[in-house]
Amino acid sequence: MPLPVMRLDVVSEFPYKHSTGETIGRFLAGLKEQKRIWGQRVGGLGVVVPPLGYSEVDGSAGGEWVEVKPTGVVTAVAVVHQAVDGLHPFPPPFAFVLVRLDGADTALAHVVKDGVERLRVGSRVEAVWAPDDERRGSIRDIACFTVVS
Amino acid sequence: MTEPPKEPVRYVETTVHLPYHYVAGDVRARYLAALKEKKILGARCSRTGKVFVPPLVASPESFAPCDELVEVADRGVVTTFCVVNLPVIGRNIEIPYVASSVALDGADISIFALVQECRPEDVRMGMRVEAVWKPDGERQGDHQDIQYFRPTGEPDAPRESFLHRL
Repeated sequence: MPLPVMRLDVVSEFPYKHSTGETIGRFLAGLKEQKRIWGQRVGGLGVVVPPLGYSEVDGSAGGEWVEVKPTGVVTAVAVVHQAVDGLHPFPPPFAFVLVRLDGADTALAHVVKDGVERLRVGSRVEAVWAPDDERRGSIRDIACFTVVS
Repeated sequence: MTEPPKEPVRYVETTVHLPYHYVAGDVRARYLAALKEKKILGARCSRTGKVFVPPLVASPESFAPCDELVEVADRGVVTTFCVVNLPVIGRNIEIPYVASSVALDGADISIFALVQECRPEDVRMGMRVEAVWKPDGERQGDHQDIQYFRPTGEPDAPRESFLHRL
């Protein structure tokens, strides 16, 4: 006997509250209060953004704080055409990117909202800041990156 | 400015939001529809004869098709369990409660079930339990149709009878 198709729409929500720790906590405070992006110079890696407080190569403790530029070069691109509602930051198409900021030696994961059709590995991008009253100490205090060339 | 603010941001709050659109498929739809009639269906492997509950299209063990739906009992044995002492957001069960694996009579693997109507410290491997169904007219054809399992008071099942049905 054929059965009607049984379907169910379910939304799973996981309300996380991450403890940031000292190093990422100060990195985020820099975004929120100073509109500056900070990295750390660590052994074997150069300037790491976002900073971890230690070297992933030799385990040595994180060194001096170094400010990097809000501009940089894209080292990887994944364009999203089918967004997940409530999970992804923008309607499609947008792109997840890795950006090596000027002055940094590692790449930061972020998003590019507009101009994805001209986005390539090697594109130059610039940070777009969230408005002053909307920065709350999160990586989204950088609203997105925009393609400059 | 030579460094970021001394006072770090302490927390980041993010809600992961995952919308699922779930389609039961043929055997799972029959299984759910049967719950409404207070029946629990399994699927029998055409090669090994093992009965999987909820029913599967093919055996994950032998890869042979499970082409026969069979009814299993709404009672069985606690094969393993965990006493939960921590509340979880969105789950309104009074703690402590017992989350258990129950091997239903006639099934070769266990289902996941709540055990109630007894003290958590009295639950044990081998304890006989039975389903407590929602009343007639309230069953929807979903897993909530079985409210929980409760002890039957029968003698415990011998360990060999369920060690391979965890």
